[in-house]
Amino acid sequence: MIELQNVSKRYIVGPVTITALDHVSLHIAEGEFVVVLGPSGSGKTTLLNIIGALDVPTEGSVRVNGVELSTTTQAERFKFRRETVSFIFQTFNLFPSLTALENVELGLDISRNGRNGRQTAASILASVGLGDRLSHLPHELSGGEQQRVAIARALATGNPILLADEPTGELDFRTGVQILELLQQQAEAGKTVLVVTHNREISRIADRVIELSSGHIVSDGAPRGGKAPVHALSW
Amino acid sequence: MNTRLYLRWTWRDLRARWLQVVAIAVIIALGTGVYAGLRSVNGWQRRSYDASYALLNMYDLRVRLTEGSYVDANELRAALDELPHAEWITAAEPRLIVPTLVEANDRETPILVPGRIIGVDITGGGPAINRLHLMSGEPFSAQTDPARTAIVEYNFAAYYDLPAQGTIRLSGGHELRRIGAALMPEYFLVIANEIGFMDAAQFAVVVTPLETAQALAEQPGRVNDLLLTLADGADAGQMRAEIEQMIDAHFAGTGITIMAPADDPAHHALYSDLESDDRFFRLIAYLFLAGAAFGAFNLATRIVEAQRRQIGIGMALGMPRVQIALRPLLVGVQIALLGVVFGLLLGQMVGAAMRGLMQDLLPLPVMETPFMARVFLQAAALGVLLPIAATVYPVWRAVRVPPIDAIKSGTLIQKSSRLAALLVNIPLPGRSFTQMPLRNLLRTPRRTLLTLLGIATAITTLITLIGTLDSFLATIDTAEAEFYQNHPERMIVTLNSFYGVTSPRVIAVAERPEVGRVQSGLVLEGELRHSGETIDVALELIDLESDFWRPTVVKGTYPTGQAGILINQKAADLLGVDVGDTLTLWHPQREGLFSIHMAESEVPVSGIHASPLGYLAYMDQSQAALMGLAGVTNVLYVEPAPGATQDEVQYALFHLPGIASVQPVSHFTEVFSDAMELLTGFMAIVAVAVTAMAFLIAFNSTSINVDERAREIATLFAFGLPIRTVLRMTVIENLVVGTLGTLVGIGLGWGLLGWMMRVELGDYMPEVSFTVTLAPLTLLIAVALGALVVALTPLLSLRKLARMNLSATLRVVE
Ligand SMILES: Nc1ncnc2c1ncn2[C@@H]1O[C@H](COP(=O)(O)OP(=O)(O)OP(=O)(O)O)[C@@H](O)[C@H]1O
Ligand SMILES: [Mg+2]
Repeated sequence: MIELQNVSKRYIVGPVTITALDHVSLHIAEGEFVVVLGPSGSGKTTLLNIIGALDVPTEGSVRVNGVELSTTTQAERFKFRRETVSFIFQTFNLFPSLTALENVELGLDISRNGRNGRQTAASILASVGLGDRLSHLPHELSGGEQQRVAIARALATGNPILLADEPTGELDFRTGVQILELLQQQAEAGKTVLVVTHNREISRIADRVIELSSGHIVSDGAPRGGKAPVHALSW
Repeated sequence: MNTRLYLRWTWRDLRARWLQVVAIAVIIALGTGVYAGLRSVNGWQRRSYDASYALLNMYDLRVRLTEGSYVDANELRAALDELPHAEWITAAEPRLIVPTLVEANDRETPILVPGRIIGVDITGGGPAINRLHLMSGEPFSAQTDPARTAIVEYNFAAYYDLPAQGTIRLSGGHELRRIGAALMPEYFLVIANEIGFMDAAQFAVVVTPLETAQALAEQPGRVNDLLLTLADGADAGQMRAEIEQMIDAHFAGTGITIMAPADDPAHHALYSDLESDDRFFRLIAYLFLAGAAFGAFNLATRIVEAQRRQIGIGMALGMPRVQIALRPLLVGVQIALLGVVFGLLLGQMVGAAMRGLMQDLLPLPVMETPFMARVFLQAAALGVLLPIAATVYPVWRAVRVPPIDAIKSGTLIQKSSRLAALLVNIPLPGRSFTQMPLRNLLRTPRRTLLTLLGIATAITTLITLIGTLDSFLATIDTAEAEFYQNHPERMIVTLNSFYGVTSPRVIAVAERPEVGRVQSGLVLEGELRHSGETIDVALELIDLESDFWRPTVVKGTYPTGQAGILINQKAADLLGVDVGDTLTLWHPQREGLFSIHMAESEVPVSGIHASPLGYLAYMDQSQAALMGLAGVTNVLYVEPAPGATQDEVQYALFHLPGIASVQPVSHFTEVFSDAMELLTGFMAIVAVAVTAMAFLIAFNSTSINVDERAREIATLFAFGLPIRTVLRMTVIENLVVGTLGTLVGIGLGWGLLGWMMRVELGDYMPEVSFTVTLAPLTLLIAVALGALVVALTPLLSLRKLARMNLSATLRVVE
């Protein structure tokens, strides 16, 4: 499903070259629930952006769902994002002038699987527990609720891969856990889910933890102490 | 694509910025409205003129004998029949035209004005060329005895509200029966007699049967004017040559002028005004549209910048770029549509108002005022395309940003340019809050520049258009000052012919007790020619050493006692001559008592006079010999005796024989300012509109700024900074940008004004040299709008700031 070989990403800022990713190779299978762990600046967001075709690697090959991303054109990357991946951001990034329902409708619209837009959107929102917040504007929702709308929007696209960058970073423990549960359910339903975090505790619920440090993968495997149920997490 | 979702979305975008959108739409409306309305009027005028001239069968050629020359009508007809191409002439009508005084006593105060008698051939219901369009009364053909009947020119009759029928008295005490009033093609616009200024109130044209005119003028059987119509395909140039030869052969020594309709003063003025009006109106409309386009561009840029992050999210979600671009583009479309709808309504209103004005100011036999679909389509196209074009560029730029940059950068932190980096590092004095306004401006140089340019656009348009009005008024003042000098009571008395300066008629004027000073002069029609250019002038020969009145010389010297001419700067520029150069003067020359022909003389340019009117030219009285007019006069400058009024002088002199007109010199500036009245009135309306527009643009640029900073301001509030401090900061910030924008605007406006007065109005009114100036009030308005209004605009958002939903503003990342 996701296949990286020798992927590097370097930024040249003036005289300094920053290596955000350094010869990273990895393979993620369909339906896996993967947590990417690492300290700040270790290259987690960079990795996610490259998998999501928001960014291109400086070298190496990235194949996602059969598409070689290191050699695509802009237009192909747009199409790829529209059809293959869905982003969930730390800062939610909802459209402020659209209601919860409309933000989700937009997700349906973008991937063009919205025959019955309103009803489908409403049922997706209900599935993330927001059935009674349909006509709220983003600023009328709490952070956790906004993030659930963002997840609903990502689900609405029907894309097989969910990419979440610090989805709980802005949320309290209880809310964060609810969000994680939602994402875990998606993985169980067959989606491939990548969650980025610098919080080790979160990684305990994953099938697999990839740990980054200074652009290198320093460990890859089941979480230490085995996979824990969501309710067993403690911050 | 979910169209309904999109429409809802953009509708919300629009509502959030409705004030700015409406403001720009109004500016577009002003532009398209002015364009559609004024250009429609222009089209109506052209159609109406064409139809009117066709209806009344305007001549193809007119042969005018030099003043004071006459020929026998039958001999003239016979000579015409012998022309090599006599068959080209489809009709020929000789006329007799003589100056007269006209007195009508239908009203309480008698009307006594100069005018002319036109004797026409009325056989067979004539005249057949230059027909009369009867507006009231009866035609000649309805009279059992048409002798000693007259039809007066309609504009004169209408001005004095004369009843359809009555009597009329002419010079020499002759009384005619007035049977009606009619429009005539040569007098659709009553202008220009020999002195250059006359209007309907001051000039009466009286049409009589030819025999009646001959009797009144004591010229039995003789005529001095001839109208011809030519067959299709006739060679007018050839015809002219044949007529000239014929006159030479049959009427040796008689000077003639051959005119085409384009040489007719009214015809020429009407049609050439159309073209220059059109250009001028278009220019004004374009200025408005340019302001509007810039406003739209500014707004679109700001909207796109504000939505930058949202655009990035859209990209991350894989939204097609066209779809992303659509949202900000739709704002442009909405502005355009709203603007055009307002504009076309405004255009209709302008048209309706002007239609009424047109009928009042210039009655014509045929008025054609259809809906000018083409002009309206053009206006609509301009109004729609301009704002859309203005939105396309910033939107296109925004969707080309790599998505990763678009998401990363916050709303306001633009990719910092090198300039911004440089500017941010400039050390500034003061504490952080005092520095902040300047820092804010420097941190985002692009935004600052856009705001500055927005204000500058507004001020440029304002300065250019109001400056035009200022310059008109200043030019009128200059003309007035030159006419008045130290003798504002001066009056100009024109005589109906040439008289010896010591003849009884001239002496009689000086001897009237109401008359104080008298000075005699000559006013002659002529032309200045140099290197292929010609200018019609009213040449005045006066005593250039007089301490009563003489033109002011601004360059060069008075040619006292010697050959030399004073012309105005504009005339010098048009002819390409300067002081010391020699030009060719085409002027009347008298031979014997009755025959006057035109002759050419080389005359040096001695100096430039101060009047803005280019058709005024002066020579010393001593040069009259050149014209064969030594010792004679046809114009007297008089001043009322101490204790006498101008009215008394006017009344006393009217009753003397040989007087053609008596006018206070103030009348000439009145006529001049009347001629500009339409323009000044129109410009006054434009001035109001442009002030409104300047306000809208300035307000818009600023309020976008304040809106854009809502989040930043909310953050400052969140840190506990009082509203007062935040406001003060924004006010200072705006004052700085506003002042800079105003200065730039005044500079650009001054340049554009100079260009407009020189190039555009130079063509519009070639005979006038305009004084380019800006009134202090105009500068004050510019500063008030550009600096003060802009500085104070944040205060308008005080309520908005005070009621700002802090948590909502800070909660959402836009
Ligand atoms: N556009 C850029 N130009 C230069 N350097 C960059 C750029 N983007 C990221 N970097 C650098 O690349 C490295 C990795 O960045 P990345 O955003 O992937 O880190 P991260 O692991 O997501 O950190 P965090 O947990 O703080 O979000 C960092 O050292 C960062 O400074
Ligand atoms: Mg990160």
